[in-house]
Amino acid sequence: MGGANAPRRLSGMQKQVLALYRGFLRAARSKSPDDRRRVESIVSAEFRRGARQVDRKNFLYIEYLLRRGKKQLDQLRSPDTTALSSLNFIPPSQSVDSRK
Amino acid sequence: MAMRAAILRHIRLPARAQTLAAAAAAAAPRSWDRSPLGGSRAMSSHGDDHLAKEEVAERVLSVVKSFPKVDPATVTPDVHFQNDLGLDSLDNVEIVMALEEEFKLEIPDLEADKIDSCHLAIEYIYNHPMAG
Repeated sequence: MGGANAPRRLSGMQKQVLALYRGFLRAARSKSPDDRRRVESIVSAEFRRGARQVDRKNFLYIEYLLRRGKKQLDQLRSPDTTALSSLNFIPPSQSVDSRK
Repeated sequence: MAMRAAILRHIRLPARAQTLAAAAAAAAPRSWDRSPLGGSRAMSSHGDDHLAKEEVAERVLSVVKSFPKVDPATVTPDVHFQNDLGLDSLDNVEIVMALEEEFKLEIPDLEADKIDSCHLAIEYIYNHPMAG
């Protein structure tokens, strides 16, 4: 180890985000194959959008997204939930404004 | 007797593990003779169902190669997912999850965050007693 292949250090917050992502992918496994694919594509798109658009120093907003994501994950884990249609993802700009 | 049968049903190996082991044995008879770690593996206490390192490596590489964003030609046992394959940390999570499914494992978050290369993935899975 070492050199170019040295392990990347993840911040605590990054670890939380990755753990949440993992949680969503795990929860998706319990759905039917079709629902699983749908859930995975929505979740993946949403996390990638966050990674692209959210300033990595905007800790307050990221914490808010983490809290929101955990609630959505709890919903998804319920066996009755087959899709994420009930979860309306709010674009970051709007949701920030609405919290002020 | 009924109790014994019930217990045996529970501890029986999954059919897939047996067929895989049989397939591996048929494909590479006495492959341990040629393996660099052969001697120690033959003495292993893990039993016959434990995966050979070659098989683990092969299946890890095939999972990584089938990842949509990865150019299969660039995948070797030494590649680092993010440094060498141009993946990000979310892709890294997806690959480790795909490996979990391939080997019927559940890898805890703390371990999963550390698996960032084919090499580490192979080591981790090879040393995991439940990998099947």
